[in-house]
Amino acid sequence: MAGVTFRGVTKRWGAFVGVRALDLEVEDEEFLVLLGPSGCGKTTTMRMVAGLEEPSEGEIWIGDDVVNDMAPRERDVAMVFQNYGLYPHMTVRDNIGYPLKVRGIAKAEAARMVDNAAAKVELGPYLARKPGQLSGGQRQRVALARSLVRTPRVFLMDEPLSNLDAKLRVTMRAELKHLHHELRITTIYVTHDQMEAMTLASRIAVMNKGVIMQLAAPEVIYNDPANLFVAGFIGSPSMNLLDGALVDGAFRCGALTVPDLGGGSREGVVLGIRPEDVAVVPTGTGLVDAPVYAFELTGESVLVTVTVDGKHVSARGDRHFRCDIGDTVGISFQRERTYLFDAASEDRIRL
Amino acid sequence: MTTVPHTLAVAAASGATEAAARRLSKQRKRKALQWLEGAVLIAVAIIIMFPIAWMVMTAFKHPAYVYSYTIWFPPTLDNFREVFSERWQIMDKVINSTVIAVSTVVIAIPIAVCSAYGFSRLNFPLKRTMFQWILLTQFIPAVTIVLPFYLMFRSLGLLDTYVALIVVDLAIALPYAIWTIKGFIDAIPMETEEAAIVDGASRLRVIWDIVVPMARPGILTAAVFCFIITWNEFLFGYLLSRQNVVPLPVGIISFVLERGPVWELIAATGIIITIPMFFFALIIQRHFTKGMNLGAVR
Repeated sequence: MAGVTFRGVTKRWGAFVGVRALDLEVEDEEFLVLLGPSGCGKTTTMRMVAGLEEPSEGEIWIGDDVVNDMAPRERDVAMVFQNYGLYPHMTVRDNIGYPLKVRGIAKAEAARMVDNAAAKVELGPYLARKPGQLSGGQRQRVALARSLVRTPRVFLMDEPLSNLDAKLRVTMRAELKHLHHELRITTIYVTHDQMEAMTLASRIAVMNKGVIMQLAAPEVIYNDPANLFVAGFIGSPSMNLLDGALVDGAFRCGALTVPDLGGGSREGVVLGIRPEDVAVVPTGTGLVDAPVYAFELTGESVLVTVTVDGKHVSARGDRHFRCDIGDTVGISFQRERTYLFDAASEDRIRL
Repeated sequence: MTTVPHTLAVAAASGATEAAARRLSKQRKRKALQWLEGAVLIAVAIIIMFPIAWMVMTAFKHPAYVYSYTIWFPPTLDNFREVFSERWQIMDKVINSTVIAVSTVVIAIPIAVCSAYGFSRLNFPLKRTMFQWILLTQFIPAVTIVLPFYLMFRSLGLLDTYVALIVVDLAIALPYAIWTIKGFIDAIPMETEEAAIVDGASRLRVIWDIVVPMARPGILTAAVFCFIITWNEFLFGYLLSRQNVVPLPVGIISFVLERGPVWELIAATGIIITIPMFFFALIIQRHFTKGMNLGAVR
């Protein structure tokens, strides 16, 4: 068990900077999720921990060792790849046992460890098969078993659930959470799926263009975003963001006025409000009236999208509510639930 | 084709709709094309198979029947006994060819696998240039470089030795082997190798445990083609050997006497030359198709 530390780590390919001056401390036994869109540097960061990429600058520590010059073999990490990286010509048993074989562990002992790992992911009956004869979910479990057969210091997972169908993904999320609770191994998990991040992480590092935008526990990321990027990235449907200005402590955007926010007057302010905090009310009783642009029934709620000053605002309403496109409805929200951001720097304005 | 308008007229005359008539002529067209295809294929097969069949027949003929066109003749094994006799000593040449071909394959394949891996996975200066040059050597007509090779081996005192022929055959076979195997290694997902590296395998271990088994169809194919190219190689075998290392195809020359070529003996030798080829063709077929599916596991 060990923590992982990044000190000033940068990764460059020619002129392109994939990861920029990263400082990050992953604590022992924590489940850290690197979350962000494609190309943000999350996979590169994790691959540098594994030793598959070399940092252009900076130091990476695993436990008390600087591992920059260590081969992957010596770092005592295990990795689950997005496409599993199974060895198609070997049986499941040999696949799981490969890390042990490579380290020259005695056959009897290795067999015992393989059986243990297989039992943890419920693969007992499949040990004699080859990966080509397994379903996607089973292959994923083989990859998992192979990574935990040696109980390494650090687990690295590169979007392991993205190739599974939606239902299986939900099941495997619970499995991963349970495994982490049982094994208590430091885990770095890469994903672009915020639902996975929210449910699995002890802390989330939201990344964009090679930089960490915010590092905090899931509820903080969700309820207290530090900047526009994090606010717009987390949450589905995403947070409503309206461009406007503060005039005497009130936010103005077209016909919409949100009073009593404080902060005097300033231009270039973005107001954020989550759809679940926006209520659809009878016309005239809310903050503003607006025409309905779209109406979606998700089953457990409805999503009503209205147009305010040319921008779309989504509201989540009770699942029995109905309206038609073109109707005019009122929308309302509490000012405590709003977030203010500076349009230029994209940072949160805290008043 | 006069049958088409005839068919149409008949169909129209019998009161069928225009669409039915068109369908009928389309069916006829397709059938006609199928017959044509079959006929062409049979013709091609005959053209290809005929010389081989003739050779096989000739190998079992008495000298008297060699120049005749009769299909029925009394077969004999005398020709085979003759070529293995003291006078011609085909066995020596079989041994020579075997030694040269097997040595070439045994040396070429490990070199080709490592080279192919390097070209496929590693980055080094002038990589592309080197790969292009390796392929370019295949375009050089053997005839133009025979003399330099001859002079080189003569000054090294290596004429009429196994070494000379193996070196030359390696030069001919290696580029093809590297190119083929590289193609198969390219098809192996990097993730599989990276998984092995993170699992703790060294590069060489990765090549042996993972890459070689997964590229097996390509390696087998390259090995078999190396063998065939070397086994059938004539020009260098002829010019670089005297009497000690004469390979089998060159050995046939000794059957061309003053009175003319002794066809029945040449044919018998031809069969001896061809037998390994059939054997290897079977091997390729079996292992090749088995291996093709491995790459599809995701």
